[in-house]
Amino acid sequence: MIYFHLFLQFFHIGIFSFGGGYATLPFLYDISEKFGWYTINELNNMLAVASITPGPVGINMATFAGFKTAGILGSFLATFAIILPSVIFVILISKFLNRFCSNIYVKSVISVLKPLGCGLLTAVGVNLFIEEFLSGNFNLFNFIFFIILVLISFFKKFPTVFYLGISAFWGLLLYLI
Amino acid sequence: MSSYYCLFKRFFKTGMLLLGGGYVILPLLKEEIAQKFDGITDDDICEYYSISQCLPGLIAINTAGFVGYKLMGIRGAICAVTGLVMPAFLAIILLAELFLNVADNDVVKSIFAGVGLGVITLVFQAINEVMEKSVTDKFSFIVFLCAFTALIGFKISPVYVVITGLIFGIILGLWRVER
Repeated sequence: MIYFHLFLQFFHIGIFSFGGGYATLPFLYDISEKFGWYTINELNNMLAVASITPGPVGINMATFAGFKTAGILGSFLATFAIILPSVIFVILISKFLNRFCSNIYVKSVISVLKPLGCGLLTAVGVNLFIEEFLSGNFNLFNFIFFIILVLISFFKKFPTVFYLGISAFWGLLLYLI
Repeated sequence: MSSYYCLFKRFFKTGMLLLGGGYVILPLLKEEIAQKFDGITDDDICEYYSISQCLPGLIAINTAGFVGYKLMGIRGAICAVTGLVMPAFLAIILLAELFLNVADNDVVKSIFAGVGLGVITLVFQAINEVMEKSVTDKFSFIVFLCAFTALIGFKISPVYVVITGLIFGIILGLWRVER
């Protein structure tokens, strides 16, 4: 039964996540809350791991969640489920590729789904912020460090490794002092 | 058979180089695929990439699927996607065991507590980038606000939010055709 649920949930992500990359996040957090296959904390940790391992974050998360819940077979199923919709869509659409993007219905749907995906991602960001700083102990040093990081990220584009590296060092520093 | 294997191998290599999210797929595919295979050009890859953004699912996977299909049909699409995903899959399988074992260690815990801040920063950076591209007028701002409120205020599952958006988009299309 767990296999069936794993497959279904990640198949959902494959169908409904729109915009790639971080667009899978709202779904991944939703799964964490509803099924408890992994904690929000684990998801954050995995996100960091996924950023420094090969492949899209969505695939990495599917593999991890599947592995944690139901071993190798689970990880295979979840990964398969998240890419299956893509393969089906690609094969169906390849026949009439040129007309697809200029179709008025496709255009209308995309004009809705783009800002919608952005709204979902923003909600995830706000939830993460609340989780980190407003529930439990408020750590002023962490807060200042975070604000500085965000400001840097808005003004200058560094590779993801920069943010993860510097914040890993920050975590170690807080542990040592 | 050997040509399928060759395609798989190329995409496997591309998958290994695909670090830090799916966005780097475009230059990688140009380098690893367009230059190595006849029958596909840089322009094709750019086109597939932009079509992939109009499709659900992961952009990197969709793009790989189109390229594989163009080169060798349905089996080609399957080879390309499998090849691209395989390194990501194997890396996590190998790391997951290790990761679950060291997660209780105090030093590792504090490092990841710090990394958590970096992760939230990355999410904020992604929001900032997506916002610039997708929230451009009154209409998109209202859609943005509705989705945001549905998730954060009413805790509605993102699946239902997207389905609602899909239906609304189709109605919008009907209305545009009518006019």
